[in-house]
Amino acid sequence: MNRVLRAAAVATTLLSSIPLAASAENVRIPVLVPITGILALEGTSQRNGAVMALDEKPSGIEAGYDVTDTAASPETAVNALERALSQPNVVAVAASIFGPQMLAMMPIAAERKVPLITISGTAKITEMGNAYVFRFFPTDAVVKVAQARYVVEELKKTRVALVYQTTAYGQSGQAHLTDNFKRLGAQIVFEEGLAPTVKDMAPVLAKLKAANPDVIVLQLHSGPTALFVKQAAGLNLPIVAGSAMHQPSTAALLEPAELKGVCAESGSSPISGGSPTMEKFTAAYRAKFNAEPDAFAVAQYDGTRMVLDAIGKGARNAAQVRDVLATGSYEGLAMTYKSDGTGNMAHDAVIVCYDGSSRVPKIVKRYAAR
Amino acid sequence: MDALTLVQLLLNATALGAAYALVALGFVLVINATGAVNFAHGDLVMAGGFLSVALAGALPLPGIVLLPVVAALMALLGLALSAAAYLPLRNRPPVSVFISTIAVGVMLQNGANAIFGAAPRGGPPLAGDGALSLGGLALDRQSAAVIVAAAILLAATHLLLTHTQLGKRMRATAQDPEMACALGVRTGRMVALTFALAAALAGTAGLLLSNRYFVTPAEGGSLMLKAYIAVVIGGWGRIGGAVIGAFLIALFESVIAAFLSQPVAEAALYAVLLIVLFVRPGGILGEVEGRRA
Repeated sequence: MNRVLRAAAVATTLLSSIPLAASAENVRIPVLVPITGILALEGTSQRNGAVMALDEKPSGIEAGYDVTDTAASPETAVNALERALSQPNVVAVAASIFGPQMLAMMPIAAERKVPLITISGTAKITEMGNAYVFRFFPTDAVVKVAQARYVVEELKKTRVALVYQTTAYGQSGQAHLTDNFKRLGAQIVFEEGLAPTVKDMAPVLAKLKAANPDVIVLQLHSGPTALFVKQAAGLNLPIVAGSAMHQPSTAALLEPAELKGVCAESGSSPISGGSPTMEKFTAAYRAKFNAEPDAFAVAQYDGTRMVLDAIGKGARNAAQVRDVLATGSYEGLAMTYKSDGTGNMAHDAVIVCYDGSSRVPKIVKRYAAR
Repeated sequence: MDALTLVQLLLNATALGAAYALVALGFVLVINATGAVNFAHGDLVMAGGFLSVALAGALPLPGIVLLPVVAALMALLGLALSAAAYLPLRNRPPVSVFISTIAVGVMLQNGANAIFGAAPRGGPPLAGDGALSLGGLALDRQSAAVIVAAAILLAATHLLLTHTQLGKRMRATAQDPEMACALGVRTGRMVALTFALAAALAGTAGLLLSNRYFVTPAEGGSLMLKAYIAVVIGGWGRIGGAVIGAFLIALFESVIAAFLSQPVAEAALYAVLLIVLFVRPGGILGEVEGRRA
C-alpha cells in the first residue's frame, strides 16, 4: 500500500513539474504598450489594435489580457513583462512599439521562451538573433525604399530636400533614404535634422528654399510633420513624408487645402479603404474607440490575430505559438505576413496621397519588398 | 540670405518670443513669491492649450473671446495648485515644493493624455486666418495677434504689480514676507494670488501657442526648460530679465537656426547660457538677492 502511495506521490510530482498545455479558453496575451510618454500616440493605436483583436474572440477563442502602460522607460517595460509572465498560460505578449523597451524586454522573453508581438521600428530588434521577436510593421528597409522609389520613379524628382528628426526614428530613416536616393541616382541638395521640440520651421524652410530642390522628403514625428507641412504650404513643392503623415491625427491638424500634393509612406492606410474587410475593421474601430485607425493599429491587430489564429489551429503554449509565427504565414488586413527568418513579418508598403479636397488619402502605389 | 527673409525671420522670432515671455513671466513671479521653482509651470502652459481646444470645441467663438475665459479658469487651477502643492509645504525645505510641483505636473500631463489623447491638437485662432502683407513681408494674423496680445498682457501685469495696492502687496510679500506679514499683509493669500496670476499667464501662453504650434500632453517639459533658461539668462528673480531671456531663446530658434543648423543653434544657445553664467553669474540683469532656494 505504501509503495502504491509513494508511486502516486512521485507521479503527481512529476506531472506537476511538466508544463501543461493550456486549453484555448484560458490562454493569456498581455498587452504591454506605451499609453503615456513620448510614444503615447503610436502606443495608443497599438493598444487599440491588440484589444480589438482580443475582444473579437475569433473562432470563439477568448484569450485573457491585461493592458499595462509601459510609459517611456525600459525599466517600466521590464517590470510589466515580469509581472505579466508571472501569470499562467501566457502564450504571447503584445509588446511595446518603443525600441529601447523592446531591447530591454527581449532577453527576458528569450529566457522565458514567450514570443513578443510588436510593431517597433527599431532595426536592431530583429538583428540580434532573438527567436522570440516578431515585428508586424514594415521596417525602414521596406518603407524607405518605397518612399525613395516613389519620389524618383513616379514623381520623377531628383533634387531632394531631406528633413528628418534627430531621434532614433529620424536618423534610421535618414540613413535608409540617403542610401536609396544614391542608389536611384537622385541628389540630396539639402539635409537637416530637427529636434522634436522645434516650433518654428521658418529657418529650415529659408535654407531649404535656397538649395532649390524639386521635392521635399520628410522623416518627422506627427506634430512636427503637421507643423512643417503647414508652414511649407507657400513653397509649392511636392512633399513625400514618412508614416506619421498617414496618421489621421496628423491630417486633422491641417486644412484639406494644405494637404494638396502631400504624400506619405506607410504599412497600410485603413481609412483609405481598399477592401471590404478593411472597411469593416475601420467602422468597428471607430465605433469602439471613437477614433480613426492608423497603420499601427492595423499591424498590431493583424499580429494579434495571427497568434489567435495559431491558437485556433491547435497551438496551446508559447512554444507552439512561436513555431507557427516563425514558420507559418497569415493573410491579414494590410498584407500577408511571413517571417523572413529574423522575425520581420511585414514586407509590403503603400504610398498614400492627399488630393486637397479631404483629409482621407488615396493609396496611389503599393510596393512589395519580396 | 536676403534682407527681406531676415526681417521675416525676426518677425517670427518676435511672435514666438512674445509667447515665451508670458511663460517666463509667470515662472519668475512664482520664484519671487515663494523662493521655489514651480516645476509644473510648463504643464500649466500645456493645460491652457488643451483648455482652449476644449472650449473652442464647445463654444464656436474666436480665440480672442475665449482668452479671458481660459485665463480665469487657469487662475482657478493656479489657486488649486498653491493650495495642494505649495501652502501645506511652505515651511518645509524648498525641495519639498520641487517634488510636489513635479508631481502636479505629471498629474496634469497624464490627465491631459487620458482626457484628450496623445495626438497633437490645434487650438482656436486668435484673430482669424490669413496673412498681413507689409511691404513684401507676410505676417500671418495669428502671429500678429500673439504679439499684440502678449504685449498687452505684459504691460497689464507690469501695471498690476507697480500701480495697484494688490500688486504692491504681492511684491512686498515677494521681497520680505515676514515684514509684509508684520505690516498686515496676508502673505498666504498673496502667494496664492501669485500662483493664480502665473497660471493665468501660462494658460494664455498655451492658447497663443496652441493654434500655430499645436499642443501635446508631453510638451510641458520643454516649455518648462525654456522658462528656466530664460530666467537664468535674464537674471534669477528679474521679471524684465525673464522677458529678455525669452526673446533671446526665440531669436536662436527662429533666426540663428537659419544661419546654423537647428541642433547647432540649440547648442549655441546653451553656450551663450554658459558664457552668461561665467561672465555674469547672476544673469544679464543680475540676480535678485534671496530669491534662490
